[in-house]
Amino acid sequence: MGSLLKVLGFSLSLILVFTLVANLLPQLEGEAPVEEEINLGELTMGSFVALGEQIFSGKGTCTLCHNNMGRAPDLRVDNVVENAQKRMSDERYQGKAIDVEGYLRESMVEPGAYVVAGFGKKGSNDSESPMPKVLNPPIQLTEVEIDAIIAFLQAKDGNEVTVELPTDTPVMADKTGVEAPQVAQSAEEVLAKYSCTACHAVMESGATVGPGLKNVGNRLSANEIRQSVVDPAAVIAEGFPPIMPPTIAENMTVKELEMLVRYLTQQKSE
Amino acid sequence: MLSPENKKRLLLKLATMKYKRVSFAGLAILSLLLFSLTPSIEHGSLLAEVNAEQLTATQPVQATATKEATKVADALTGATLTGAPRTTAGDYPQIGFSSRSIVWFFAQMHLFLAAFVLAVPIFVFFIEYLGVKTAESRYDDMAKEFMRISMTAYAITALFGGALAFALFLLYPHLMAYLMKVFGAQTLVYALLFFAESAILYIYYYSWDGLKYGNRKWVHLSLGLLLNVVGTTLLVMANAWATFTMAPSGVDAGGAVTGGIWEIIRGPLWNPVNLHRFIANIAFGGAIVGAYAAFKFLSARTLEQKAHYDWMGYTSNFIAVLAFLPLPFAGYWLMAEIYAYSQQMGITAMGGILAWLFIIQAVLIGTILLASNFYLWSGMSRCDGSKRYQWMVKYIAGVLVLGFLIWVTPHTLILSSGEMAQLGGSHHHILGPLGIMPAKNIAVNLMLIATFLSFQLFRRSDKIITVSWAKTGNLLLISIYVIAVANIIFLGVYFGYFTNTVYKVGSSVAQVCSTLVVIFAGVTIDSMMFKGAKTLPTVWGRVSDRAQYALFALPVAFTWLMALMGYVRSSIRTHWHVYAVMKDNSPDNFIPSIGYAGNMITLVTIAFLLITLFIFWIASLSSKQQVKPVESAGYRQQSIEVMGKK
Amino acid sequence: MIKPKSALFHFVVVFTGVLLAFYALDQLVMFAQGLPLNWDLSPAQ
Repeated sequence: MGSLLKVLGFSLSLILVFTLVANLLPQLEGEAPVEEEINLGELTMGSFVALGEQIFSGKGTCTLCHNNMGRAPDLRVDNVVENAQKRMSDERYQGKAIDVEGYLRESMVEPGAYVVAGFGKKGSNDSESPMPKVLNPPIQLTEVEIDAIIAFLQAKDGNEVTVELPTDTPVMADKTGVEAPQVAQSAEEVLAKYSCTACHAVMESGATVGPGLKNVGNRLSANEIRQSVVDPAAVIAEGFPPIMPPTIAENMTVKELEMLVRYLTQQKSE
Repeated sequence: MLSPENKKRLLLKLATMKYKRVSFAGLAILSLLLFSLTPSIEHGSLLAEVNAEQLTATQPVQATATKEATKVADALTGATLTGAPRTTAGDYPQIGFSSRSIVWFFAQMHLFLAAFVLAVPIFVFFIEYLGVKTAESRYDDMAKEFMRISMTAYAITALFGGALAFALFLLYPHLMAYLMKVFGAQTLVYALLFFAESAILYIYYYSWDGLKYGNRKWVHLSLGLLLNVVGTTLLVMANAWATFTMAPSGVDAGGAVTGGIWEIIRGPLWNPVNLHRFIANIAFGGAIVGAYAAFKFLSARTLEQKAHYDWMGYTSNFIAVLAFLPLPFAGYWLMAEIYAYSQQMGITAMGGILAWLFIIQAVLIGTILLASNFYLWSGMSRCDGSKRYQWMVKYIAGVLVLGFLIWVTPHTLILSSGEMAQLGGSHHHILGPLGIMPAKNIAVNLMLIATFLSFQLFRRSDKIITVSWAKTGNLLLISIYVIAVANIIFLGVYFGYFTNTVYKVGSSVAQVCSTLVVIFAGVTIDSMMFKGAKTLPTVWGRVSDRAQYALFALPVAFTWLMALMGYVRSSIRTHWHVYAVMKDNSPDNFIPSIGYAGNMITLVTIAFLLITLFIFWIASLSSKQQVKPVESAGYRQQSIEVMGKK
Repeated sequence: MIKPKSALFHFVVVFTGVLLAFYALDQLVMFAQGLPLNWDLSPAQ
């Protein structure tokens, strides 16, 4: 019995030491991201930039790699706009961005388009990027959130902010709760409802994932546009990945489709 | 021609040989079939080949998403695949306690006990085989005693497994419904395998004395092999569920099943976790039976008992540390695969919110190494031949303590803002560089080499080497040790601080290889040098009581460490049930702080400690025999308890 | 008479052999990971 008590006492003391160490260390809780509604009416550029900074260290999880540990460019201290301009003129640059905003968006949405020298995956000789695509899970940022980050990155070094404040109700990913689908009343609503602006440059979007639509009326006829929506895989624009969702038309009403087609055929350059 | 006598002998030899070969070959084939077929039973879902790239690149779900699972049309066949359910906070039943804590408790208890009951048959098999080879009954007796401890644990493992299952289905019904859909009939196969495991386990243990010699012993060994095969199959099947939630495979971005059962099982983290858990189980099991031996040693009443349990303690420590040595490398492979799968996940574990945890891990592993080394040094008192190596102990201790201190040094200091202003940052100028991986890799590798040296010295203590090339052999060993240590330091300092990240990470592999060379060379060269050596007597039982406490420190640290690592593994999923596929929207969907986790871990460790004492008590109870009381002249003599036959 | 194989010579031979073995180990292990080294063990990339 004596040895039992001694053994128990010894073991409990040792366990206590470990517990003590755990409780003396800095206590951090990993918060799950909470969905927040952004009141667009009250949004100013200042608060939009602040939102971007919040997302940068919060939901975007950017600071996990973009810090001074050497894993990714330290965006917090770099002049991001200057670097973006330098990198777009690098001979290795094969992406499709034409301005700083486009470069920053491309870096987030399609990080593999260009890998800054020295930051590629081990053994890939800077051809593969270790950065995840922010539109995909687990990060799953929305277009508005990406815009906010771009605004933050531009503003923090005193550079010009080129993104515009969002005016549409953003389509938030995994919004919980049942929502009765509303039939869109205009082509702009259709574009927002089906998240076209996520990949196509149209209205305020400068997205480069899919072909730009700002003068699609010059290139495609109404029937061709209609086919692209109903059966995206039928014709793939050269140089673009065949990733347009095939199910868009399934949920679209005929009215919405026609509004969209009519609108896009009118998108022509002067 | 052979004489009839010799003929008989030869025939008998052939018959026995043939039996051994046949039984083992047969078992090997049976095991292979069992192992390969059971997890691969297909479940009948639509197995459309969907281009995963197509689906991952699409937009997040439209605003019309409801609580129902995402329905995605398959690109090629047009059939509808149902993905993971999307839950809200209200979907999680609440019973007044934190659901996560309840599941955590049952899961960790189940894993402790399961690790133990899977590990014991592994080293019991080897010890039993050793008993056959050396024809010494002490090995066989010890093997049986280990199995007796494991038998009691088996029932309690099942109890916690049942409790865990109930808790999961009650508190996380949507997640479990989804996992059942993904894994399908395989879950039933898992359940049915337990029939096999139980049957073989009971037959194996209860037939021990009946299948003790000759041919029958080989039958018994075959049963042991079969038990291990079934146990390992159970381990890897359960691992598949855990690794699926971390790095899902065989499903698309929405969670719909798109691959066969093998694709689902064989995710990128499956085999690293398999290897890590397999080896860690052995180390853990060894540590627990070591505690049993230590306890019995302290309460032993005869010299014979003391000798027996001292030897058992040594063997257990040997198993624990031998299995422990390759564990950091298995863990490194696991972390490397996690980083390769998702940099984010990897950084969350080691560079983000959970980084401080690895300082506690350093404390725990430091405890383990110091305890087992201390046990080895204390054990040198058993043999007089150890006196010539006594002088090295203080240097090994120095290396261990220094290594431990470096390992436990954090990179970022815990400072108030005033202190930070004084220091000029959150890193110490001199000690800061010790906080990053290169310094820690040096420390760990040197600690492992030092531990191995303790082993090697102990192994040599009772031998006088007589081979002619002894001088060269010793010179070779010394050179290997010295150059390996220098190499590890060079690699760590040069590549760690003066080259880029990729070379820094790559150099740690070279460091590990250096350590492995030392271990491998040490074992091999010594084995060759021991040929024909003179053996000095070892007095088993001649060891201090103090040393036994090292054998308690070992399982306590191991247990706490195992629970700590479970906290990491679970937390790196962040707010996902199934990473990137099924979000966790329960009230507990945040990573708990390390203090909270520490308290939970302490709770399960103490609970496990008490259960282990209960198991040891039961194991001893089964061998107690009360002597029938003798009545004489009006008063009864006290009945005496005698330790019966083992 | 000079001993043909003195203890020092013995030591130097063994030590150098082991040194070369570990040098080869370093080169091999780094090369196998796609991280080649120069002769002086500096990174080649």
